[in-house]
Amino acid sequence: MVFLTPLFLLGLIAAAIPIAIHLIRREKPPKVMFSTIRFLKKTSKKLVLFQHLQQILLLLLRSLVILLLVIAFARPLIDQSVARLLDADPQSAVIMIDLSMSMQYEDTFERARGEALDLINQMSAGDEVALIGFSEGAQLVREFTSDLDNVRSTITEMSDAGYGRTRYFPNLRLADQLLEESRFENRAVYLISDFQAAGIGTVEEGWKLAPGIAFSGIDVGLEESTNLVITDVRSPEQLLENASEQQILARIRSTGSVYLQDGDVSLLVNGQFVDRKIVDLVDRSEEVITFSTTFETEGSYIGEVRVSGDVFDADNSYYFTVDVLPKISVLTVNGEASENWYDDEGHWFGLAVAGAGQSPFELVNIAPRDLNEEVLRQSDVLVLLNVGNLADEQARVIADYVRDGGALLVAPGDRVEPDSFNSQFGSIAPALLEAQDLPDGNDYLVIADYDSRHPILRPLESDWSARFQGHWKLTPTDGSDVLMQFDNTEPALVERKVGSGSVIFFASAMDLEWNNLPLQGLFLPFIHETLRHLVQPELKQRAYSVGDSFSVNSDDRITNVSARDPSGDEILFTNNDFIMQASKPGFVTVDVGNAEQYFAVNILPEESNFARMPVENLFDSIINPDTNPIKSREVQNAQLAEELERPQKLWWWILSLVMVMILVESVIANRTYR
Amino acid sequence: MSESLNFLDPSVLAGLDNLELRARIVVEGFLSGLHKSPNKGFSVEFNDYRHYQRGDDMRHIDWKLYARSDKFYIKQYEDETNVRCVILLDTSASMAYSSGGTSKLDYGITLASALAYFVMRQRDAVGLITFDDEIRDYIPAKCRQPHLMHILRTLSNLESGKRTNVVKPLTDLAASLNKKSFVILISDMLDDEERVINTLQNLRGMGNEVITFQIMDDAELKFPFNEASEFIDMEDHESYITSPASIRKAYLQNLNEFLSFCRKKCQSSGVDYCLMNTAEPLDEALSSYMAKRAKSF
Repeated sequence: MVFLTPLFLLGLIAAAIPIAIHLIRREKPPKVMFSTIRFLKKTSKKLVLFQHLQQILLLLLRSLVILLLVIAFARPLIDQSVARLLDADPQSAVIMIDLSMSMQYEDTFERARGEALDLINQMSAGDEVALIGFSEGAQLVREFTSDLDNVRSTITEMSDAGYGRTRYFPNLRLADQLLEESRFENRAVYLISDFQAAGIGTVEEGWKLAPGIAFSGIDVGLEESTNLVITDVRSPEQLLENASEQQILARIRSTGSVYLQDGDVSLLVNGQFVDRKIVDLVDRSEEVITFSTTFETEGSYIGEVRVSGDVFDADNSYYFTVDVLPKISVLTVNGEASENWYDDEGHWFGLAVAGAGQSPFELVNIAPRDLNEEVLRQSDVLVLLNVGNLADEQARVIADYVRDGGALLVAPGDRVEPDSFNSQFGSIAPALLEAQDLPDGNDYLVIADYDSRHPILRPLESDWSARFQGHWKLTPTDGSDVLMQFDNTEPALVERKVGSGSVIFFASAMDLEWNNLPLQGLFLPFIHETLRHLVQPELKQRAYSVGDSFSVNSDDRITNVSARDPSGDEILFTNNDFIMQASKPGFVTVDVGNAEQYFAVNILPEESNFARMPVENLFDSIINPDTNPIKSREVQNAQLAEELERPQKLWWWILSLVMVMILVESVIANRTYR
Repeated sequence: MSESLNFLDPSVLAGLDNLELRARIVVEGFLSGLHKSPNKGFSVEFNDYRHYQRGDDMRHIDWKLYARSDKFYIKQYEDETNVRCVILLDTSASMAYSSGGTSKLDYGITLASALAYFVMRQRDAVGLITFDDEIRDYIPAKCRQPHLMHILRTLSNLESGKRTNVVKPLTDLAASLNKKSFVILISDMLDDEERVINTLQNLRGMGNEVITFQIMDDAELKFPFNEASEFIDMEDHESYITSPASIRKAYLQNLNEFLSFCRKKCQSSGVDYCLMNTAEPLDEALSSYMAKRAKSF
């Protein structure tokens, strides 16, 4: 049974009035002093019982009359007919539930779950439903099914909202694609969300839902919200040991609809409280808080900036990591030490390596004859500058050093004998020396091409204006990579992995004899990046946002990797890429070999912005002009019910029955009292 | 006649504090319409004359003496003064019931005082017994004028008592009567009606003239209640919750059975019976008394 004007059913309360009057009056009958009750007591008990039954019957009749009147005004309709008609026009519906972080605000997600369940409850038995739980991408997809109970239980068991950001369009596209496979013509998308304005993202101009797909937005967001969010934290990613005091900058904003004017911000390093400051947002929309702290000893540090003073905890922490590294020990063997500093390759190289105030390198210069295994083992990287007269034993030690994980940078100059060099280092060299190329006159070469994706050259992407009047013609060996080329297409920089170590050949000298590179601004970073690349693994990005995918292992040679997510649960990797997708803020802890590394995962600040948009805006953006005006299931039901109610006219029959009952009531009432 | 009868309206009479005045109004009003009474006179041995008083049977006027003296004289006979009348008035709690106008007790008091006044006016001896579950006041029958005042004072000071026990005073009275008497019972008779009637029959069997005035309130006779109520018995305070409309018919049937029993039993045993509604005038009682007295002598 359904009702066309169900509000009238509130009048059912009136049916209790006769009963209430009966009960109230029954409690306190008036007392009458009478001469004798002997004639009253003699009256037949059957008569009294009969009269009592008559009264109850009257009571029931009167209540029933009110009840039926109310039902008649509510315009009842036998719903089996509606169900039949609805079954004749089954629906394919996609229910989209927003699982973004903003849905964690108070009970927003629970209300969304309730709305989804209501939608399922309104479905008819023949309808099919697909379910999409989404944030930036779809997190849960359940394809079309007519098993509504199953969908209902899926919604009930659905985990709470996550930490992703809202993006409507990609997920609406997914819903649109799902509906392409739907069985029925009556198609609709129900989007349950808090309708954050940021969720629109990049408007996909021109894209609309397919014609005929109806859209209904169900807004479960709150009109009022309070929130403080840390939009950004600036901290050093890598430091050298014994570095000076560092500054941590945190940017705090109030993003709720109700503006918050203050809050507390705390800094924690390795879980230990460091400092606390007050945020003052009285006369500004955001404030930058500065903390000072030191990271002295070598190791990986995890830091957290935490804000308090609002009701939404999900975005109150910002995480960062700091890696404190030891200095790189560089052993330079200078084959052409000169009293004239401008001719001394070691001078120019030394200026680049140790000339800065806080150099990450410890430089040791030795003569070729002093090179031995003991000295070598104390160094992270060996640099051969125009060294042409090494003994075979020295060459063997160097080769072993490299194979065992050492690093070698070679800048051969005019003193190098190619045959001797090739025979001594051919097994580890990335290239063989062919011959010196010294153009005549003022002719020179320039760097024409380089691998801009290589870790050494990636940060040096600029105009290489150095001129090369002399260089070695190189023939790259197997397994080597040419990183840089002269404009005559000959290799300028070649790299090769050997065993656990690496070797890089620079095809020219490090002084002014063959080129003017030492005079270029790029010289110092080029040397630094080259040495760092040879010794340290590539600087791994440690900070990610929720939703990012990244590999927790930067070294392909290491396969024994385990990782735990911010909750402490072990992450299961399906392949050796060790790629994971960040799903919640905090630290991902990775055990690589025996070392422990940390990755900081933070929420996306835009998800903390609770500015909302009208549902109509999204509706206007996506609804296809060819789609008929949306008819929600309620409207559809109402129209069908209206059409069905006309021939049924149950109200007319009920009113007729009421008239008969009023007559019966009058007859009975006249036969008894009141 | 009609003007006088208005004074017999019980509600009007109840407004009069002076019981003697109340009795006189009743009697005088009653007598003003009594000349047309078909009652015939009585004749025993002549004793004396007395002045004519309104209400006297005109047949007993000594016309010869009138011719000589131009005044009306009534011949008085020996036996006429030997009538003894005892009025028994029920003062039980049920007699205090009133549905709005005069209570049954007030009505009975007025009736008793009117009868006493009337009897004394006839120069008969009159006595009074008031009772509830036992005899409360007993005034032996006498015919002196101060005696009437004694009776009226006693009546004016009456208050309702406890339960009704009609049998006891009647039994006591029967034991004390040594001469044929008029016994007037004024009561609602809400007692064991069979025992009451038996006692009255005994009194009648002893040669006494017995008149029973059964006083009932209009509400008792019509039971006009509608609203469901808790009815409380005025004598034993027992309560009974009912909806009157639903049982009115049965109540009236039970009541009529009771009244009918009383009437038939009285009539069959020679006891004059008169049902009186407190909403109706008192003259019917006096008529009844007069008729009985006329029949007796």
